[in-house]
This record gives sequence, structure tokens and C-alpha cells, in this order.
Amino acid sequence: MRKRTLQRGLTGFWWLTVAFLYLPLAVVVLFSFNASNSAASFSGLSLRWYRRLMGNEEILSAFANSMVLAITSSVIALAIGCLIGYGMYRHRHRKLGWLIVLIYLPIVLPDIVFGISEMAFFVQIHDWTGLLQPGLGTMIIAHVTFQIPFVALIVYSRFVGLDPTLFEAAKDLYATPVRRVVHFMLPTIKPALISAFFLSFTLSIDDFVISFFTSGPESATLPIYIWGAIKKGVSPEINAIAALMIGAVAVAATISLAFSRRRLT
Amino acid sequence: MKINKIALALSLGGLALAGQAQAEEGKLYLFNWTEYMDPAIIEAFEEEYDVEVVQNYFNSLPEMFAKLNAGGVSQYDIIVPSNYYIPRLIETGLVQKLDKTKLDNLDNVMEQFQDPSYDPGGQYSAPYQWGTTGIIYNAETFPDAPKSWSLLFDPEVNPQHPFALMGDGQVTMGGACAFLGHGYDCTGMDAWKEAARLLIETKNRDTFSGFSDGTPALQQLARGVTHAGLSYNGDFLYFKEENPDSFANLAFMIPDEGAEKWVDAMMIPAEAPNPDLAHQFIDFILDAEIGAQLSNYNYYASPNAAAVPHLDEVLTQPPVQPSDADMERLRFTPSLEGQQLQTFQQLWAEVQAR
Amino acid sequence: MSYTGVTPTARSRAMVREARHLLFTVAPGASWIIVFLVLPSAYLMGVAFMSNGPYGLPEMPLSLESFKRLAGFGFLGWSPGNLYTLIRSLWQTLISTGLVVLVAYPIAYYITTCRERWRPIMLLLVVVPSWTNQVIRTFGWMNLLAPGTPLSGLAESLGLIAPNMGLYPSNFAVTLGLVYNFLPFMVLPLYAAFEKLDTAQVEAAQDLYASPVRAFWHAVFPQTLPGLLAGIVLVAIPAFGMYVIPELLGGGKGMMLGNLVATQFSGGANWPLGAAGAILMLIATFVGLFAMRRIGKRLGGGEEVVI
Repeated sequence: MRKRTLQRGLTGFWWLTVAFLYLPLAVVVLFSFNASNSAASFSGLSLRWYRRLMGNEEILSAFANSMVLAITSSVIALAIGCLIGYGMYRHRHRKLGWLIVLIYLPIVLPDIVFGISEMAFFVQIHDWTGLLQPGLGTMIIAHVTFQIPFVALIVYSRFVGLDPTLFEAAKDLYATPVRRVVHFMLPTIKPALISAFFLSFTLSIDDFVISFFTSGPESATLPIYIWGAIKKGVSPEINAIAALMIGAVAVAATISLAFSRRRLT
Repeated sequence: MKINKIALALSLGGLALAGQAQAEEGKLYLFNWTEYMDPAIIEAFEEEYDVEVVQNYFNSLPEMFAKLNAGGVSQYDIIVPSNYYIPRLIETGLVQKLDKTKLDNLDNVMEQFQDPSYDPGGQYSAPYQWGTTGIIYNAETFPDAPKSWSLLFDPEVNPQHPFALMGDGQVTMGGACAFLGHGYDCTGMDAWKEAARLLIETKNRDTFSGFSDGTPALQQLARGVTHAGLSYNGDFLYFKEENPDSFANLAFMIPDEGAEKWVDAMMIPAEAPNPDLAHQFIDFILDAEIGAQLSNYNYYASPNAAAVPHLDEVLTQPPVQPSDADMERLRFTPSLEGQQLQTFQQLWAEVQAR
Repeated sequence: MSYTGVTPTARSRAMVREARHLLFTVAPGASWIIVFLVLPSAYLMGVAFMSNGPYGLPEMPLSLESFKRLAGFGFLGWSPGNLYTLIRSLWQTLISTGLVVLVAYPIAYYITTCRERWRPIMLLLVVVPSWTNQVIRTFGWMNLLAPGTPLSGLAESLGLIAPNMGLYPSNFAVTLGLVYNFLPFMVLPLYAAFEKLDTAQVEAAQDLYASPVRAFWHAVFPQTLPGLLAGIVLVAIPAFGMYVIPELLGGGKGMMLGNLVATQFSGGANWPLGAAGAILMLIATFVGLFAMRRIGKRLGGGEEVVI
């Protein structure tokens, strides 16, 4: 009897928490359709803020920057992180403590310290050499830095999950290392690669603080644009862009759900 | 593994290119206040000189200064700081001298802006617009608002409505100084300390809603988040025009204890990628008709004498052109340097943290 | 040189090959992180030991001035401003982590009691909001808590806030934002801990102790402790250095260490002071990680902590 009350209470609490988690997002989406420029009251449906978005060159270029940044950095991080992940696996019997520390560093470092360190450092290097001008280039460098560890860990754990005898078999099957890589390793870790790529991509799209400090005049991404717009105080349009980004995440979540279900069965 | 190596080399190559892609020929990088430029002027300039103008915006001078220090000095062609930041930009070597031979329209500038105190001889700067910083308030909430800083600093005048102060410390501190009777442009240690104490008290009032700079402060007022705040006369009129309903109840006021007048000027960062184009742009803005078009667009007073005949009528009356009585009470924000600046910044940091 | 000594054996040749392999796979990534993160952090630490130039940029000579400033000693004498900021950061971290635990614990337990095929979906439901951008999520709360909104109206009629004031900007809004932001980080490790719960032990405890509270305390709680600790680290460390949420929801009243550090760079104030603040944050991070490792080892489940 008591157990059932507890369970019921928990169910109620669960739905409350879900409401708590989705309320702010729902409000953003709702107000993106608000006919008036009010934060407090909803006065009818309208697409006026979406219409304003269209043809706003700044937003379009911010979107393009976000995409270029996310794709380029994810590809580079995938290549580098993959190598490290494999190296960590192959040499897991050695003492690689320093490497583990190094790989965890980008994960544990507070964003603000991460961003500011790179900003200050890039400025100094630019002063001395003229390289590393703040812009997409420096942002890509920064993003790759925080993506590498995630790729490495995902790839590493995929290798650990494999049957070690597979590697022996592959050695017998394919004569050259190149063929082993192409015909055995890449296909076997393909799911890990895909998931690592998408995780890197999401991390990049999501990042604000590090991008903010390493960006240049022409490399504002969507989060940076939204931050600027919030700071400036023009609100309804932000709702519209934010709603679009929330929609994109919802689509990604659905896809991910579909995949995870397939994996379960 | 070779494939990965090649991919790596290729992407690194791409990365290097991405780093170099900036600062191309034929692009002008303009770093300006938000809502401060007529898009039509940009288009006209782009057409006339066959270039592309890339605009970036700041909301406050500290933000602009920080961006310049963080690499911006070699990334922007034009910046538009206010008078009291100009001496420190010159002193830190962040800006370069103007080549006056390239600025034919410089003679259009009004006499009082030819040799300004913030930049003797006008060697580094050419004036863009000038205006005032006043209190914007909701006239419905405060039908009998006094023409005074007490609307912000006296809890008895405004006991229960949220208000904001400006994020730029010097303006907010100046306001507190004026309210205390030390004048808007106070600089003495004792006056500052008293003002800082007042600000800490004010911050801890329940109705203090936060620090916000010019444009955001106006948006908060329009949306009813705050009922009094600090902003600029031109921005006020500009947004009122754009959104008459939300601004119907808002009013602009210059406190009798004194307030800020300012001049924003165009300057060229020391390592600007395209200084020639920057000079052309400054000259373009100094043109009589373009200067008038700019003021007509953003509702700020023009420092351009030749532009006067082309100005809209609204620009010749308050609040754009303050009354003579108000004009006498307006002061420039003092330009701080050295020990004085350090003192000020410590006091302001204290206000922010408490 | 001729081979006068021992010819290299197959074993040592293999070792050389292995070492080269290690170098080849690990070097690109390791050097990337060293060049683009370790060196910059080291540089930043160096900045903390320089003097503050007249306009906020680091200058020679070396000095400990910025650490003194951080502790509140300016040339105006000691003032408590930075201490307030520090205490506020600690307090916000503490209270939001506590609240996150209070919410996440029952939620994680509840998910494990549900049918197995629902669990991944429920976890996904918890995690999805954190995939949207932090700035957007915080902006959602700005919309919800502003003056005049139903929530603010409710708080006003209950007498929780002054009339005409919204729930935002305020320290309360910052706490709420932090709890919202970090909830998933706590649910996931706790869920993992609950899923591995040894039910035999729980049943034995239920027989042994009459009260369910004691049974919980002796049988369930210790088993979930590693997950709880992992969650606490995942929440408390980033909360302590948080920048976006206090900046947007605090309205200048809720300044935290992250904001203090950031304004030294983004408001053109004082690079060395900002760098000193960053060092403080780093110390807090590593102390937190170290403490968790120690406790985790003592509990015998320390390896779980990965993400």
C-alpha cells in the first residue's frame, strides 16, 4: 500500500520535473509566434518574427559560420582523436598516465578558463608572428581541442569492447597495415566514428563561451549572435532563431532515439 | 594510416587558409555602436567604392576597448569611440593618426569640434555624432517625475518600481556624483567614494533591476521590465519612431543636477587592415548630405556644419538639440588615466561585486 | 660503425616499432592539446604574476599584486568586494548542487523502476534539453521570470518578491538557472548507480531493519554513493566557474567568479587579476577532482567517473 503511494508520488514528481525541463523551451517556441513585442503577454499567432529572420544577412552568415566551424572541427578532431583512441588501446598496457591527464584536461577545464587562456595566448602569438588572427581559424583550433578527448574516449571504448583475437585474425587476413585499416579497423569502429562525429558536432554547435572569446569580426556563430541580440535587448526575433535551433535539436533527438532503439533490439 | 595523415595534412592546410581568409582587399571592417548607422549609407558607400562593408557592434566602450586589446587592433578599419575613451586609445597606441590630406571634407566639421579637448588638433579623430545621456522613464508610472537623478537614487521618489543603471561605470558613477551635488564630471577621491557608497546602497535596493547599457536599457523600458533607466537621446527617438506603441508612455529627461554630453568620433586602429579605405569612409561620412542623412536616420545631432541645411526639423529641437538651460548643465565625461583610472576601476569593481 | 656488440634481437626491434607506433598515433593529438591548451593555460598563469598596466594589459615586472587584489587588497585598503563574489560563487554552487541532488535522486530511482524499454526514452527526455544551446535555455528562463509573467505574478501575490519586480534578475533566478542547467549531469550517473543496485542486499536490509528509512540508509544509499559523487563533481565544478547564467539572469546583482574573471578580459579591466581568478578556479577544479578520486577509491568504485 505504502509502496504504491510512493510510486504514485514519484510518477507525479517525474512529470513535474519533465515540465520543469521543457517549460523554458516551450515558452521560447510559443513566444516566437507572438504577434506583439511583449515579454509578458501573448497576443495572437503571427509569423512576423520568422519573416524578419529571412533575409537577415547577419543571421544567415552566423548560421553558415556555425556549420563550417562544426563540420571542419569535427572532421579534424575525428582524425586526430581516432589516432589517439587507437594508440591508447594498442598501448593500454604501458603506463600512459600522463596521456590520460592530458586527454582529460580539456574536459575538466572550466570553459571560461579555456576560452580566456586561448584568447590571451592567440593575441600574444599574433603580436609576435602575425599568425593566429582571431577568426574562424582560431575558433576551429579551439573547438578541435575540446573535441579530441571525446572522440578519443569513444573510439578507445569501442576498441576495448572488441574481441582481441579479431586483431590477430585481421593480421592474417590482410597483409599490409593500410589494408588492415581500410578493410578491418575503419569498418569495425564505424558506429563509434559516427557517434563521435555527431557528438563533436553537437559540442561545437552548443559551445558559446569558448567561441565567444576566440572569435573575430567575421566569425560570429549563431550562439554568439543570439548572445549579442539578448544583450542588445531585441527579443522576439531571438525567440524565432532559438525556436528553430530547438527544433533542430528535437529532430536530432528523434533520429538518435530511432538509432538507439534499433541498437537495443 | 597514410590516408589519415593525408587527411590531416589537408585539413591543417585548410585551417591555415581559414586563418588567412580575413582582411582581404576590398573589405571595410566597421566596429560601431549598435543601431548607429543607416544601412542605406553603407549601401551607398559599397556601391561608390565597389567594396564590402563588414559591420560589428558594441554596446559599451569597455567592451569596445577590450575587443581592440584582444586582437581587434589589426582587424577593424574604423572604430567609433566616445570622447572620454579617445585619450586612452591614443596613449596606448591602439589608433593611428589621420592623414588629413585624404580628408577633403574635414572642413565641413563645426568649429567647436575642430580642436576638441579630447584630441587636440583633431589629429586622430573625426567627429561622427554628438548627443546626451539622460534618464528615460515611464511617464505613466511617474506622472510627476522630478527633473532629477532622485528618480533613480532616492528610494522615496521611486519606492517600488524596477529601474536600471548604466553598465558603463563612468556614466553611472557620474550620475551618482551629480545627485550628491559633486557635479556629473566629478573626479576627486572623496566624491567618488561617496558616490560608490551610494551606488552600493542603490544596488541593494529591492527595486534595482541591474546594469544595462544604452540600447538594451531602452528595450527593457519598452517591454515594461524596468520603469526608469539611462540611455541616449537619439536612440530613444529612433526606437520611439520604430515602435510608437511601446514607447508611447516613455519620456526623456536631462536631470537638473547635470548629465552627460558626448561626442562619438571615427578613428582608425593602429594596425587597420585597410587604412586607405578607412580614410575614404571617414571622408564619405563627413560629406554634407551623407552627414545629414546619418543624423536624420539615427536622430543624433550632427557635428557637420555643412549638413545643417539638410537636417530634419526634429533634429533642431529637444531632446536632440537640448535647450540652452540644459546645455549649460551638460558635461563631458572626464577622461581618466594613470593612477586616477586605477582608483576609479577599483571603486567600480567594488560596486559591481557588492 | 660495425655491429660489434649484440645484434638487435627481434624483440628489441619490435619494441622500437611499438614505440614508433605509439608516437605516431598519440603524438598529433597530444601535441595539439599541449600547443593549444597546455601552453595557453601556462601563459595565462604567467599573466597572473605580471603587473597590471595602466589600461588593463599585463606588464613587467613580475608581481603578486593581482593575487592581493583578488583577496581584496587594493591601494584603497582592504575591501570585501571580491570576497563577496567568491562567497556568492561558493554559496550558489553549494545550494544549486544540493537542489540538483534532491531532484535527481528520486528521478534516477524512478527511471530504474520503470519498464526496461521505456528507460532509454526517459533518459533521453531528461538529456535533450541540455542539447540546446546554454544561451537559449537561459533566455527561455528570462522569458519566464521577467516582471509581469504569470510566474512573477504568482510570486508577487504570495509576497515572495516586491511588487512590480520580476523573479529575474535576481540571485534566485541564477540558482534556478544553475539547477536547470545541471540536472541531467546528476541524473545520468545516479541512474547508472541505481541500475547496478544489488537488490538482494536491499531485501536483506528490509528484513533486518524495521523502518524503510534505515533500510534505505544502510543498503541503498551507500551503493549509490559513487554515482552521487560523480554527479556532484560534474555539477559543482562547472557551476563554480559559470559565466553565462549569472550574466544573463543575475542582472549585475549575482556576479560570480566566472563573471569576475570574464569582465577583466571582456570589459577591458585587468588581465592579471582575471588570470589570478582563473588560477583560483583551476585550483578549485583540481581539488574537487582529487577529492572525488580519493573518496571514490575508498568506496571502491572510482573508475566509474568517466563522463
